[in-house]
Amino acid sequence: MTKTGVFLCNCYGEIGKVIDLESIRKRLEADPAVDFVSVRESLCMPGDAAEARALVCGRGIGKVLLGACSPYGRMEMVRLALAKEGVDVRTVRAVDLREGCAWVHGKDPAGATRKAANQLDMELAFLQNMRDSKDVAVRIQQGALVIGAGPAGLSAACGLARLGFPVHLIDRGTSPGGLLNMVTRVYPSDVPGPEKLAALVAETRSNPLIRFYGKTKVASVRGYAGDFKVALAGPEGKTTLRVGAVVLATGARLLFPQGLYGYGKLKGVITQMEMERQFAAGKPACQSAVFIQCVGARNAERPYCSTICCPLSLKNAMRIVDEIPGAKATVLHRDIMTPGSVLEAYYRKALRMGVQFIRFDADRPPEARGDGQVSAVDVFDAINGTTRTIETDLLVLSTPLVADPESAALARMLEIPVDRHGFIAEVYPVHPVETRNDGVFICGTARWPVSSDQAVAQGEAAAVKAASFLGRQTVPALSMSRVPGTKLGHAEADASACTGCGNCVAVCPYSACKLQRTGNRSVSRVIKVRCKACGSCASVCPNGAMQIPEQNYRVTGEMIRRAFREVP
Amino acid sequence: MAGNRKTILVVGGGVAGISAALDIAAGGHRVHLVEKNDDLGGQVAKLDKFYPTDHCAFCPLWTEIRRCKESEAVTIHTLSRVETLEQAEGRHRAVILESAPVVDPALCIYCGRCEAACPKGAARPIWEHAYPPVYCIDRERCGDCRACMEACPTKAIAFDRDERKITVDADEVIWAAGFDEVSLAPMKEYGWGTHPDILTSLEFEAWKAEAGDNRGKILRRSDRAVPRSIAFIQCAGARDLRFLPYCSAVCCMHALKQAQWVKRRNPAVDCVILYTDLRTVGRDYYEYALRDFNGNGVRLVRGRPSMIHPLPGGGIAVRYEDTSTGRREIRKFDMVVLNGNLKPSLPSRPAPEARPERGDEGFVSPTAVSCGFVMEPADVTESAIQASSAALRSILGTRG
Repeated sequence: MTKTGVFLCNCYGEIGKVIDLESIRKRLEADPAVDFVSVRESLCMPGDAAEARALVCGRGIGKVLLGACSPYGRMEMVRLALAKEGVDVRTVRAVDLREGCAWVHGKDPAGATRKAANQLDMELAFLQNMRDSKDVAVRIQQGALVIGAGPAGLSAACGLARLGFPVHLIDRGTSPGGLLNMVTRVYPSDVPGPEKLAALVAETRSNPLIRFYGKTKVASVRGYAGDFKVALAGPEGKTTLRVGAVVLATGARLLFPQGLYGYGKLKGVITQMEMERQFAAGKPACQSAVFIQCVGARNAERPYCSTICCPLSLKNAMRIVDEIPGAKATVLHRDIMTPGSVLEAYYRKALRMGVQFIRFDADRPPEARGDGQVSAVDVFDAINGTTRTIETDLLVLSTPLVADPESAALARMLEIPVDRHGFIAEVYPVHPVETRNDGVFICGTARWPVSSDQAVAQGEAAAVKAASFLGRQTVPALSMSRVPGTKLGHAEADASACTGCGNCVAVCPYSACKLQRTGNRSVSRVIKVRCKACGSCASVCPNGAMQIPEQNYRVTGEMIRRAFREVP
Repeated sequence: MAGNRKTILVVGGGVAGISAALDIAAGGHRVHLVEKNDDLGGQVAKLDKFYPTDHCAFCPLWTEIRRCKESEAVTIHTLSRVETLEQAEGRHRAVILESAPVVDPALCIYCGRCEAACPKGAARPIWEHAYPPVYCIDRERCGDCRACMEACPTKAIAFDRDERKITVDADEVIWAAGFDEVSLAPMKEYGWGTHPDILTSLEFEAWKAEAGDNRGKILRRSDRAVPRSIAFIQCAGARDLRFLPYCSAVCCMHALKQAQWVKRRNPAVDCVILYTDLRTVGRDYYEYALRDFNGNGVRLVRGRPSMIHPLPGGGIAVRYEDTSTGRREIRKFDMVVLNGNLKPSLPSRPAPEARPERGDEGFVSPTAVSCGFVMEPADVTESAIQASSAALRSILGTRG
């Protein structure tokens, strides 16, 4: 058994003034697992790491125990300095003697010393009983799959290709563009939708690194970050690909307002998309247009704001006022959602152009009137407290973007979660295009309703994140951690002890545990690239078959035993 | 990775600048990250909580800062500014003026002896969650007695370290200078500066912070008594053609977060948000606004105050029209929190002609690469997206 070298830091008296380091030194030296104990004034000053390394190497030992400050103090810097000196920090353990012992128990030196001794004992037990996770390296497949060729997917695909990575871009439509192909003008720049994407679409043809597959869907996905095996179903049958990363940009759908405000019964009651079609065919034939916001949104069924509907109505209301002489446009809203500088200026522009805005309460929605054809809208004006009647020949319903069930099915295939509205969830708000499954990235309205500009930015963000992953040749599974060098290990299943109960599969937040059929029984297997060493599987395994070698049950048991051991 | 190894200069070490720097570094390129303050973190480092998770703000930020500091590809310049910036042959030559900190982070062990020794209260931690934790000396409070130097066991403190000038040749510059609070003193109706219980939202965030002096207790600033009522005023100075015409985008959610936090800490405090439009466009934001604590929720009133004034007998009068009833009200509150007075940060250096072009409202125009609030009002999520997008554009050398 390899012995352990112990360094105790006095921290210029911060530790030694409370904790009796001399008695601790004597105790540890009496432990047969300890090779040496070195009490030092500091461990984090320039030169300290080199001295520590010299001592460790000179004694030919592989395990190091540090008693110093907290990991939120300078301990991580000490570990980093040791790593730079060439010490394998996976076998370096640290005990917080300063913040956690000397400082908080300053009035009880004997108690602080006992606690310090117990904690050092515990980590000694860790070092003596730990085993090493066998690491595996993933060979990164250089290509990426981008699903969906709307603004987000196009921008992700072009971004990746410009960075030099081969991209397979698929879409269920025949050509790229997505929802934007149907939009005659895009807010706030007011350029036609197809024109906005023209450069990106042209690039999918001109850049040899991009291959576009029209009328194609994903049939199945297997594998993990760095090596996904994807089957595509397209007009030419099935195609199989191996890619290192997947970008999901499948977009969303617009809610169809059946039965709301006379839609489907009254002529002249249309959706925003139908209005786009009227603009595409020429000008809508109307002298007055009324827009109703939050149709089927911000209610009990869909308690969210769909982001794009307010600016969309502003744009179309301005077009009515601008393009049809003498026409009036009125927007009935609950809150005008134009956050920021650009959209707020867009709102002010609409006000200046004479678009009328009337605020209504959710519990007193407007009512459409008419006989066959819409003729007027009654609305209770929440500001002046009167019911107003607006004569109109066109009623435009602003419906929200809703999650596409196809995206949810894809999310299941890619083993990433969706939120309660069906949109695909990011791993954390600070990492908005990354998902719980490393190597899978999300952007655009499949993630959450956004404008086309935001979708393009998210596509670029997904490209840069995917590229930083694809840029490496091989990735060791132990390096798959947000902070490099901090992953403890990964879980390993002991096939001889596993009964195939599936508890681990149910609890693993990263879908790293899989049941695999061998002979006539199922046993659990861990995808090491996905495992984050959280230990959930080990804690629910009834047989101790699932273990993280570093923190195996011997380690935990011995640590607990020592935590409560009487220290003389 | 295709192409050469590039060098990118990132101006601003807040969440946008940090995110951009990390993405550029992960792509195999070099970054010089310039931050004017003692440490990275920017405005987000001042936040106690994030919306809509209500999680501590420091933890994810701490992780990103740590990754930056441990990255070989990122050179961090704190207490620094870009003094000059010149363009030649498509490259940018920047001269960075870097002040040395009085307390050397490589030597400070955070023992706090300088703080105990300082008679003026000038020695203090940079911020509660700095990585690694380091003290700094507030030069404005410092009485030059040097007692801290005597007390420091590692000789980390020196007052005479020289400024350094560092020349960096960068392929691209990313502007990520974030935002500043604008003084609301010119907007007299908000009463800011006339009473300690009229605070801006960032002042209130620090005042109520769990890691702050009050350890999360909700107290009045005037007498440290428990307030009975708090008014959160939205669009204070914003969406106002006399002052800031734009919407600061983050304030509705920020006020909801603070008001709900107050309710969680002390349900007896009456919290009223006076808003114009409740802008809750992100994931889970609208439901966040609908949340209710203990059946005694935050009250949302649509209206914008015309006058906020301290009362002689204590308390603060707020006059507003509740637009849902049309009634003009004057109500007494114990505290008033003002939200909205944020403007894109405008560093005094480099010279105006070397700075990026800005639009009428002060935001960096798309002719330069930028991200975060300096480009367009943005919260953490938006800033992170823009930062990654800016990282890509800077690596590829594309604009707009």
